[in-house]
Amino acid sequence: MSRPDHEDQLPEVLRATDALLRRIRFQPRQSLEPELAGRLVRSEKPARVGVTAWRQWWPAGLVAGLAVGFLALLLILHRASTIDRCCYDLDGGGAVDDGVLVVAERDGRIRRLSVYEDRDRSETFTAADIIRLTRAGVPEPEQSIPPGFTTIRRCCQDLDGGGPADDVIMTVATPPDRVLAAAIYELR
Amino acid sequence: MPPRITSIQHPDLAFPRVETPAQIACREWYEAHGRELYGYLRFQLTSPDLAEDLTAEVFLRALCHIESFNSALGTPRAWLFRIAQNALRDHRRQARRRVSLPITSFRDLEHQAPSMEERLLWEEEVARLLGAVALLPAADQEIIGLCYGSDLSPAEAGDILGLTGSAARTRLWRALRRLRKVLAE
Repeated sequence: MSRPDHEDQLPEVLRATDALLRRIRFQPRQSLEPELAGRLVRSEKPARVGVTAWRQWWPAGLVAGLAVGFLALLLILHRASTIDRCCYDLDGGGAVDDGVLVVAERDGRIRRLSVYEDRDRSETFTAADIIRLTRAGVPEPEQSIPPGFTTIRRCCQDLDGGGPADDVIMTVATPPDRVLAAAIYELR
Repeated sequence: MPPRITSIQHPDLAFPRVETPAQIACREWYEAHGRELYGYLRFQLTSPDLAEDLTAEVFLRALCHIESFNSALGTPRAWLFRIAQNALRDHRRQARRRVSLPITSFRDLEHQAPSMEERLLWEEEVARLLGAVALLPAADQEIIGLCYGSDLSPAEAGDILGLTGSAARTRLWRALRRLRKVLAE
């Protein structure tokens, strides 16, 4: 094949390299042609390279990733969180020294509820505080409620970790320092 | 193009297979451009086996994606060279991940050497040249492969690379200058 536009203008200094490269001629083996024709007739698939495989599978990977992310989000949302709110008068004693410790699913079920007296004035529950009442998810009413009990409601706080301050803590107490029952409900 | 019976047979089958128009087209493309493509690939690969594998891969890919070939947009040759470029790129990407020992062989090298001694000297010279080409940037290897492996003019190489003839020529000359420098070191 003639290459006049190339060869006529080729700088003198490159001519030797050009001539050397032009002498190199490779010839594929004769049997490659019928071999390839046979592979074409059999409609053989080309070799799958890593990138192609990745391109083929990325939608499935994306779906799997999204599913895992969604499950992780569900787990996070349903993971119980502990909420500590202080300080109110929940036992009717007059002093604003009671706190409420709640273990709840985010904006969901209350798993555990404790009313404590903030003895050390730390405005949070510590080992020095006294638990006045603890109950689990199921109400455990006092069997013998003595006379003179009082019902106390405190609204509105975020007591279930859901975000909005739409929860109410209600206690049934006999002043000055006994809490007989406690409950949390959400305003709708 | 009507399907026709070909003599090519699968070794496991006793009857001839019907060659589809796409298969006929690919086979005819190999007859027309197989050697050019082989030369292009061989200039950038260490062994004839690799060049054969990739040449076959080019045509298998062409058959697999033949519906995407549009003759209004370019010639089959340009399309096949683009497939070859991609196949070579994929091969290099995989080769980076693999530990391989290149086996240099020149059983496919044409020669007019009158004696075995001269033939060996020529093979040594070619090994030195291609070894130097392998040290060049990929773009340089590509233009050298097209112009010397496939024996294309710079204008033809430019068509495949999406360059004007003068831009391809400039790229070739720069590549040759770098090659000359590597050979001198």
